[in-house]
Amino acid sequence: MTSDLPYAADAEVSLSYDELEVLRLQYQKELSQGYVTVQSKFNYAWGLVKAPIRQNQVEGVRLLQGLVCFAHQLPPIDICLELYRAEPTRRRECLYYLALGHYKMGNFEEAKKFNALLLDKEPTNMQAISLGQLIDKGVAREGYIGMALVGGAAAIGTLLVAGLIRRATRK
Amino acid sequence: MAPPPTKPPAPINYKLLLIGNSSVGKSSLLLRFSDEQWLPEDESSATIGVDFRVHKMEVKGKKVKLSIWDTAGQERFRTITSSYYRGAQGVILVYDVSNRESFDALPRWYSELEASLSDKVVKILVGNKVDKEFSRQVSTAEAEAYAARMNSLFVEASAKTAANVKEAFTQCVERIMDQPELWETPAGTGAAISSNVKMPGGNINLAEDSQEGGGGCSC
Repeated sequence: MTSDLPYAADAEVSLSYDELEVLRLQYQKELSQGYVTVQSKFNYAWGLVKAPIRQNQVEGVRLLQGLVCFAHQLPPIDICLELYRAEPTRRRECLYYLALGHYKMGNFEEAKKFNALLLDKEPTNMQAISLGQLIDKGVAREGYIGMALVGGAAAIGTLLVAGLIRRATRK
Repeated sequence: MAPPPTKPPAPINYKLLLIGNSSVGKSSLLLRFSDEQWLPEDESSATIGVDFRVHKMEVKGKKVKLSIWDTAGQERFRTITSSYYRGAQGVILVYDVSNRESFDALPRWYSELEASLSDKVVKILVGNKVDKEFSRQVSTAEAEAYAARMNSLFVEASAKTAANVKEAFTQCVERIMDQPELWETPAGTGAAISSNVKMPGGNINLAEDSQEGGGGCSC
């Protein structure tokens, strides 16, 4: 019996177009009525973060950042206050999906920052631990690619120089 | 495209869901089953959205690869977690034997399944936390009768002591194997965010919107 870890299901599974549309329409309906509930905003942001399209992820992260009120001078202060009054646990959910969104976009530093805030409150949260491992893997992969690029450039440079020397010595 | 006879058969893939009220022990059952671990209450945290594990095991002499989706039980996640239901062959419905409310909530969980999945999907009702026998609020007989009425398998278990945990998962998988129509055809075409699911708080209803947006909804 074996089990594979780490895994963050939300990182790879996206909603269908119709599903995201349901969440988007609800959000926009409330927006047009001048009052967006935390639930609708969160749901839509969640759908966006899960999407495979980068533009959607960026928008999702922007909405979540408004919800979590990370920087307290962020504009939607009213929603932040409401959030803290009504549902203090909402913070952990926003932090998790913020970390996830940034991870999917390849912003590993930001992802780490939000995940660390969650782990700070919940050191044994398995989802956050698992996501943390994924982020670390991402950082390592980026490092390898960087090294490969440097290595590749060095190799090409060597070949060019070798070619030049050969041409020069033939003359 | 028959594989060469020497090649071992690829493992069968099944998707299982864990659903039920919050704090009934869905994640604990999964942790016990997949890692043989147990986290005390003060160290475990409520699942955010969904958690996921791949688990390989052998059932009836066949290799089976399970992807187990552990959903958040909290009310406010209800609308979005139903999007994870699609494609499941088995559902593990969990309640807490020492919490009457979690048992009384089961009809709602069943109706949510109905909205998203075929009625052929294998269901098993699991009464967790039998280690808390002293504060039991739901009798075995009552739960057993309810499970039979809902066409579900039934077992009482404890993630804490590991009693019946493996059995619950194995029984569910065995029953799926007995029903080839579940996995031979693409399973669970159901709508994900179902239009009849009410949003928490009761003030938001996705039904109106999904009529415009949910064209592909098969619910």
